[in-house]
Amino acid sequence: MLLQLRNIFKWVQQGGQRVFLLKDINLEVQEGEFISIMGPSGSGKSTLLNVIGMLDTFDEGEYDFLNESVHTLKEKYRSNLYKEYIGFVFQSYHLLDDLTVEENLEMPLLYKKIKGSERKALVADMLDRFNIVGKKDLFPTQLSGGQQQLVGVARALIANPKLILADEPTGNLNSQQSEEIMQLFKKLNEEEGVTIIQVTHSEKNAEYGSRIINLLDGRQI
Amino acid sequence: MFKNYLKIAWRSLKKQAFFTFLNTFGLAIGMAGALIISLYIYDELSYDKMFANADRIYRIDSDIKFGGAEIKAGEAAAPMAETLKRDYPQVEAAVRFRTIGSAYVKKVGGNRSAKENHITYADSTVFEFFGIDLLAGDAKTALTGTNSLVLTKTAAEKHFGSTDVIGQNLLLDNTDTYTVTGVIEDMPKNSYFNDYSVFLAMAGNVASREDNWGGNNYFTFIKLIPGAKAEDFQEPLQGMLERYMLPWSQKYFPGMTAESFAASGNYIRYHTMPLTDIHLHSDKNSEMSATSSIQNIYILSFIGLFLIILASVNFMNLSTAHSLKRAKEVGVRKTLGSNKLNLVFQFLTESGLIAFVSLLAALLITLVVLPFFNSFTGKSIEIPFTQPLFWFALLGATMLLGLLSGSYPAFFMSRFTPVKTLKGNSSESVGNGRVRNALVIFQFSISVFLIISTLVVFQQLNYIQNKDLGFSKDQVLLINELGALGSKTKAFKEQIANMGFVESATLSNYYPTPSWRSDTSFFEEGSRDQESAIQMQEWDVDTDYLKTMEMELVAGRDFNPAYTSDSTAIIINEATLPILNVTAEEALGMRISEEIDQENPTYYTIIGVVKDFHYRTLRTNIDALGMHLNSNAQNMAVRMSGGNYADNIAAIENTWNTMAPGQPFDYRFMDEAFNTTYEAEQKLSQIFFIFTMLSIFIACLGLFGLAAFNAEKRTKEIGVRKVLGATVSQISYRLTVDFLKLVGVAILISLPVGWYVMNKWLEDFSYRIEIGVGVFLLAAVLAIIVAILTVSYQSIKAAIVNPVKSLRSE
Repeated sequence: MLLQLRNIFKWVQQGGQRVFLLKDINLEVQEGEFISIMGPSGSGKSTLLNVIGMLDTFDEGEYDFLNESVHTLKEKYRSNLYKEYIGFVFQSYHLLDDLTVEENLEMPLLYKKIKGSERKALVADMLDRFNIVGKKDLFPTQLSGGQQQLVGVARALIANPKLILADEPTGNLNSQQSEEIMQLFKKLNEEEGVTIIQVTHSEKNAEYGSRIINLLDGRQI
Repeated sequence: MFKNYLKIAWRSLKKQAFFTFLNTFGLAIGMAGALIISLYIYDELSYDKMFANADRIYRIDSDIKFGGAEIKAGEAAAPMAETLKRDYPQVEAAVRFRTIGSAYVKKVGGNRSAKENHITYADSTVFEFFGIDLLAGDAKTALTGTNSLVLTKTAAEKHFGSTDVIGQNLLLDNTDTYTVTGVIEDMPKNSYFNDYSVFLAMAGNVASREDNWGGNNYFTFIKLIPGAKAEDFQEPLQGMLERYMLPWSQKYFPGMTAESFAASGNYIRYHTMPLTDIHLHSDKNSEMSATSSIQNIYILSFIGLFLIILASVNFMNLSTAHSLKRAKEVGVRKTLGSNKLNLVFQFLTESGLIAFVSLLAALLITLVVLPFFNSFTGKSIEIPFTQPLFWFALLGATMLLGLLSGSYPAFFMSRFTPVKTLKGNSSESVGNGRVRNALVIFQFSISVFLIISTLVVFQQLNYIQNKDLGFSKDQVLLINELGALGSKTKAFKEQIANMGFVESATLSNYYPTPSWRSDTSFFEEGSRDQESAIQMQEWDVDTDYLKTMEMELVAGRDFNPAYTSDSTAIIINEATLPILNVTAEEALGMRISEEIDQENPTYYTIIGVVKDFHYRTLRTNIDALGMHLNSNAQNMAVRMSGGNYADNIAAIENTWNTMAPGQPFDYRFMDEAFNTTYEAEQKLSQIFFIFTMLSIFIACLGLFGLAAFNAEKRTKEIGVRKVLGATVSQISYRLTVDFLKLVGVAILISLPVGWYVMNKWLEDFSYRIEIGVGVFLLAAVLAIIVAILTVSYQSIKAAIVNPVKSLRSE
């Protein structure tokens, strides 16, 4: 088992009242799963994803990740954990505009203090795999949205994470580009066994996954 | 990793060119200012350190109170040097200077005189004492002969066109012939002796061999043996009073003992002043050459520090403000595995990079500005490019500056959380700007304070220059070196006085501008004890003096050429009255004398009391003064009634040339001579002015950047307001007023500080202005106007943007 959420609650205080963002979430994810989180705006999809990604905290409940109790870990260990095992893909790509494609890919490896030669090899490998060798010296703004997201996915994958978290990865893309990205996810999941959790609005995209979790007002339905 | 930091830093700086420019520019100007000030201070602190064993050399100073006057002399009595060396084993060597001011110097047989402004007698051991090498001649014997002199290289070249001049003869003031026996390098500019170009053998100064402990005319330097401490020498030094000075004075005051001398309230205090401290710490009534004050060093240090802090604050302000743009980047990096420390390092690399680019720019600015600065301060400061220590200090300081300026933004930005910044509501992440506001207030407080200081200094100078001085310095020409006329001095005066444009002319060496001074003890008729001595200035004047100076009498009459008895008449100033303990009317007819030691002393009868006039700087009070007739003078003052100055001077020079053919005509205007007294203040005011402008400029750069940021941050708000019907002026008003509030707070802070500090500064002057409300109002208004001008450009620019544009995104 990759991770398990038990009775997770998250709330904010608003005018003296608790407004629940997540209410009693229970979730178990096995390695190799491809899960889609769905629900209307404000239902808590992104919040749940951030909690899973350890970017955000929760107020109540227990969270185990690879047999570590996340809820008892100090902030520092928690961030070490996600840095080691989780890759993020964003709706608006969030590539670093000042860096070329190649440098964007290299960035996570630098933070992991991987040696220069090995870095080069891994980056070259990833460029090759995603068929973007010709684009390696371009800056993000010189790419189309689809290409940018391709780089985004490649960047999330390069440090060889166990889990990819994707927050509406196709939200800014046209239908053809969406299709390509989803195919890529499917291939990664099926052929390489990467665990993927995505947040999406689209029924069609959700179909690529093996399981769908529906949220409404912070509650699983 | 570091290479990567550097690469990213370079790219992001390039991308934010505008902010980078503001940052770099502000920092570079601040650094250049601080660098120049540091070099200046370094030079000031280096005075006299180049002399051999400078740390063992001391000057003997004498603080004297006698006859109602207090004198702080940098000089000692003639026998002091020899006696100290003889009596105390800890004194290794001693040397004396007796300065004689300026003289016209001419090659014997030549026909062209040139003035040397700083000439001094010096003991023959002077070169050995200070470790000065002779370019030509023998250091040991050069100054042993009576009429020998040593020239500096520049002086030798000036008079002979070469430095190979040993054995050549020079004529001083057309009277005394000297033989050149040595040539030395010019005295170092950063030394107490820097102005001196001609050294005459002390053997030619007869008084230097007299056993006279009463006059203090010799700048006396001693060298202690290694290991001897100056503080242990103070007591033996003071012992000279009882051992030599008092026994000598019993000739004049029979029965005077140490006890009676002390009981009278008079004193003579000898002490040592380290050679290397003289330039900044000596405050004697007379010095061999102009000294500075440690006060100025402090003021400049503060200004330099201010500049750096202002620039650094700018940097922090602009960087944190700009973090809005960087927030997303921080978020992304954190999700990619960066920890806080990585981010801190990255931002510090950026600030370090800016600091180093600024350093290059600052060095460039300094190179360009330094020549102007040098000509302004009379120094020859250079950037010490070849000194490793300089680079070490410079790079170290730059690194420190980069770290300090970068640390706040770095820690501030590295705290951003990905969840917030990646959602896009990043304006939250840049905070409410409380720290930034505080920094703006801080910057403007300093600027307003500097504005106030500048205004007060200017006002005080203006006050000095326009104050009723008790005489009139305008339209008066001072003609010097009348010795060249020989016996024709009086005839020359008659001729000049009869010229149409001349109101009157007077012969005297004493003027209320820097000129001769002579302090003497007078005694009232019938009183002979030292307690009733009246220490006063004794000035030799002629019958036209008061008229020419336009001084007023408050009682009695002026000298009258028709009364032969006026040769023993004296006119005193008002300041003398309290010492005599009489009113002006009562003083008339009193008789005073300076010849207490004679059987039948010559008495001067007081015939008039002149209204007090300022004859020293306005820093000091007016002391007692008496004038009597004596027309042996080297100088003449001519009051002109108008006309073309150039023509007038040409006419006078014409007369001069017929009466003293071939002699240089040396003159200056009295008001210019007067102004030299306040050169230090004038320079201070100019320095204040320049650095105030700089600091305001830097503060404005920061404000400009912040205004740009603020407008950007509020783009959406501005768009919404415009859609709801706000006009351009309403919006730009809104944006501007926010900043003006900060400036307002800054003004409130700096007013009391400015008031306090400048009052302290004014306390130095016996005659000074009151700081009026006007100064503060003007400073406040200036600051507000500058702030409005700075901010309004950005405000208006933001206000006229079409709301469709600003609201379209998202």
